[in-house]
This record gives sequence, C-alpha cells and structure tokens, in this order.
Amino acid sequence: MAFPSSPRWTGQAGLILALVALGGALSLATPNFLTVPNLINLVRQISINGILAVGVTLVLLTGGVDLSLGSLVALSGVAAAHLAQAPGAVAFPALLGMATGAACGALSGLVVTRGGVAPFVVTLGMMTVARGLALVLSGGRPVSNLNPQFTRLGGGDVAGIPLPVLVLAAVAVIAHVFLRHLRFGRYIYAVGGNEKAARASGVDVHGVKLFAYTLCGALAGLAGVVLAARITTGQPNAGVGYELDAIAAAVIGGASLAGGAGGIGGTVLGALLMGVINNGLDLLNVSSYYQQIVKGLIIVGAVWLDRGKEK
Amino acid sequence: MKKSCAALAVALVLASCGSRTAPGGAKQMVIGVSLLNLSSEFIVMLNRAMEDKARQLGVRLIVNDAQRSAERQVQQVESFIAQRVDAIILNPCEVEASSPAVDKALAAGIPIVNVNSETRSTPTAFVGSRDEESARLAMDYIARRLNGRGNVVMMHGFMGQAAQLKRDQGAREVLAKYPGLKLLAEQTAEWDRAKAIALMENWLQSHGAAIHAVFAQNDEMAMGAVLALEQARRKDKVIVAGVDAIADALRAVRDGRLDATVFQDAAGQGAGAVETAVKILKKEPYEKQLYLPFQLVTRENVSQYLK
Repeated sequence: MAFPSSPRWTGQAGLILALVALGGALSLATPNFLTVPNLINLVRQISINGILAVGVTLVLLTGGVDLSLGSLVALSGVAAAHLAQAPGAVAFPALLGMATGAACGALSGLVVTRGGVAPFVVTLGMMTVARGLALVLSGGRPVSNLNPQFTRLGGGDVAGIPLPVLVLAAVAVIAHVFLRHLRFGRYIYAVGGNEKAARASGVDVHGVKLFAYTLCGALAGLAGVVLAARITTGQPNAGVGYELDAIAAAVIGGASLAGGAGGIGGTVLGALLMGVINNGLDLLNVSSYYQQIVKGLIIVGAVWLDRGKEK
Repeated sequence: MKKSCAALAVALVLASCGSRTAPGGAKQMVIGVSLLNLSSEFIVMLNRAMEDKARQLGVRLIVNDAQRSAERQVQQVESFIAQRVDAIILNPCEVEASSPAVDKALAAGIPIVNVNSETRSTPTAFVGSRDEESARLAMDYIARRLNGRGNVVMMHGFMGQAAQLKRDQGAREVLAKYPGLKLLAEQTAEWDRAKAIALMENWLQSHGAAIHAVFAQNDEMAMGAVLALEQARRKDKVIVAGVDAIADALRAVRDGRLDATVFQDAAGQGAGAVETAVKILKKEPYEKQLYLPFQLVTRENVSQYLK
C-alpha cells in the first residue's frame, strides 16, 4: 500500500509566503505588530483554535468532519469548572474535561462507523446535544470561583511563554510525530485517501475512524479546559462557531475536506494566519463590519495562493 | 413498528394537552412566554422571577426559548395564539423583527406584555428598564473618576441588538457632555468574555498607556477587559465599568478588580411582567409602561447586591 503523497514543504511554501507577506504589510502599517509583547499575545490568542484545529485535522484526514467542537468546548469547560472550584485542583478538572470531550467524540465516532450515519449529520446532532448538556449542567449560568492554580493554566506563563501556547506546542508535536512516524498515523491517511483499498489491505477502518473522532473530542475537551482557565469561568455558551474556525485553519493548512490530505504543520500555519488577520485588524482599529469581509477575502486568497503553487 | 410509533405519538400529544383547571375548579390562567435567550444569565434570572411570581399568583406559564432568533420568536407566539393562551409575555429579540409577534397577538385579541426590551409595535404593556440609562450611569461614573478628562475605549455587544444600540446611545450622550473625554477606540466583542480578552490585549498593544478607562456594554466583556489588564499588569491604571451586575462582576467589584457595574433588576422586571399580565386579564388597572430604574454598583454599595 503506497503511502499517499501529501505536499509537504512545497505546498506549505505558498502559505508561508502569504504569512510573511501579511506580517510584513502589518509591520509597515503599524509599529505595534512586530513587537515581542504583541507576538506573544498573538500566539496565545490562537492557542485554543490551534488545539481544536489539530484535533479536527485528524477527523478531516479520515474523510469526516466534526461540527460539535464548539459545544464540546463549552461542555468540557463547564464540567472542568465544577471540579476546579475545589482549592488546588488542576489535574482532575483537566482530565475530566478531556474525558468528557473524548466520550462525546467516541459517541460521534460510533454512530458514524457502526450506524453508518454521515459525519456531518452525527456531529451536527452532537453539537446541539452537547450544548444542551452544558446548559443543563450549569443551569444556564457561568460556573465561577475557580481556584488560581487552575486558572494559571489559561493565564500563566513559563519563562515568558504563555501556558496555552506550550499546550498547543505539545499537542502539535505529539500529533505530528504520531501521524508521520507511527504506523497508525499512516492508516489514518490510508482510510481518508481510499477507504476501500485500505479495508482491502486489512486496515481496521472503523477502528481508525473511531480513534480519530475520540482523539478529536479529547482535544476539544482540552481546549475547553484551557478556555475555562483563561476566562476563569465555565461558560455554557462558550465556543459558538469555534468548529468553523478550526476547520478553516485546517483547510487553509492544506487539509482536504474529502480526506487523505493535510498535516499538522499546515494546520498550525493556518491557525497562525487567521490569528495574524484578527490581531492585525484589531491593531489597525478596522471596524468589525469590514473585519468580517477582509477576513473572508484573505482566507480565500491564502488558500488560492497555496493551491496555485501545487499546480 | 410504525403503528405503535404513531399510537405513542398521538398519546403523547393528547397527554400534553393537560387539564387547565386549577385546584378549586376555577380555570387557571395560562400565559405564554417567549424569551430572548436562556443561555444568558440575565434572562435566566428574569425567567426565575417570572416563574416564582406565577407560582405565587396561581398562574401557569408556558416558557419557550427563542435562542436569539426573531423568526423563532414569531413562530412561538403564533403557536401560543393557536393554543389560545390567555396572555403572552414577550422578551423581544429585536426591535423590528420581533414586532410581527406583537401585531399578531393583538390582532388575535390576546394581551401581550413586552419585558426588558422594546419592539417597534406597541404592546398592551411594557415592563423594563431604559437601557440608555445603564450606559449613562456607567459612563458618568467613568467621567467623574477621570475628572472629566481622559481617553475611553468602548466594547460593544452584538451590533444591531436593541441593548447595544441603547447603551451606545447612552454612552455617547455622556461623552458629548464632557468635551475632555475622548473615545479612543470602539469595537464589538459580541457580549463575549473571551473575545473581550483578545480585544483588550490588542488595544493595549495599539494604545498602551493612552487608555484611561474601558466601558464595556455588559459585564462579561468587562470581566474580559479586567483579565487582560491584570495579565498586562495595567489594571491599577485603567478604570473598567460594565453593565448587568452578574454574580462574577459583583464579586469582582467587591474584590476591587472591577470598578463599577450597573444593576438591572431582573427579578423586578420578571415579576412585574407577570403581575401586569394578570392585572390585564382580571381587568384591573395596570401601568402601560413600567420602568424600573438601574442602579450603579461600586465598592461602596456592592454588599447590598451580593447574595
């Protein structure tokens, strides 16, 4: 079974070019962009979307999609927040948050594989169910009074690097190594590239997909934990629309919605590009109406440039 | 399988058309309530107050959540009309788009009471507060603290929503009164704490020490601004004021992290709406427009509001 080709640095070159060009333009337009504090803010601001994007990349690679990410962020955040009200609790809330996300992801994965229902539909259902659960668990009100050790996860730093950024870095590195250097990682590409051929070669297609959804859910849970720590509250209506930003980051980074193509490096670059746009437009004090338009145009432009280079 | 499903469905429908007779044999009043969005803490408090008052008065409420969609709200009101409820309480999503709901109720002869927000169409009665007042109180506080001179940044809610428009209006009235106050920047953070953190961080990069005060149109965004300022170790130099007096904000005011918030009497509005509806149905005299005042909450008086 040939390892399906995915454009690596050649494909990424277009994206890197777009990033450099955008960064360059911004640093000329405002002196506040290319400063250490701003760049630190920037990477901190993309951390949560970055973690979600890494997770959804795995699902996209198998040819699926996960629309429930935003709701999982809220649900995990609320769950973790309840435990984080106890003084000193950090590990338990974080683990509970990830477990909540993983459980929902596994459920979605089961219905997709065993039930044969389209991922779009399944995860759309999970999106509303998880949101409802978050509201039920919290009674519609934010869960507050979280202990400072827990909130440090969202607001603290190590040697000047914000903790959420370290979490994203760890997640990205582990995911990258997993996809590129472990056999199971190759199976994920195989299932997305040609499911029938993969099954014929003896790959446990259902198992691979289930794993992808579960891991994606766990990462959504982690993102929810980090967000709850950052805003110091578990909010039932957090994360609305986060799944679209995550998918956008992955797609900009080269992931195909049909499956089989994409990678963690590209995803992180995609998340970075989106972060630069948001940060830059805020620094330039562009009205939020125009921000929407500009964001959409730059995203399409970046992908166009990237795909153009491949041909 | 299909037949038993159909039978089950029919049974459920019949069961839900419950008896409307209150204990004692008198016909119980039924009020249909369509709420803006039950995932907002303020609306949750509003709902709770309505249900408490309804229980007290022996009235039955059917509560629907419009989930921020004016279209869904109109559908819910149409459904109430079809169910022949005695009265409707409407917590409008939007000034224009929720107006058809009011029109339809009035056309069907069902009294309708607007609570908290307005619609362009005039309902039978209105119970709420004047949102402009909340912004005026907060901005006045900022103006006094800055002695009438300084740079302010404003965080907006969802652009176009009634609350955002009114609070914007109130804030600008105060800014016009104090020529020494300058609006340095304004942007929407969509009522969201996380977006407000990022916005404040970016503003600190663009304007840094030039920012003297932040007016956030709701407490969630104010808390976001506070978090970003604390992280940048600039909170002691910047005044932050919000609106709503949610639990988090009250605690923050008590702890000296948030400078001021504005208390909106959710309980008063909710109870008032139900009371007014019942008065209308009993043909008793009622106030066509009941305005409950906002109250500025600072460290001096925050203990009154903390439960």
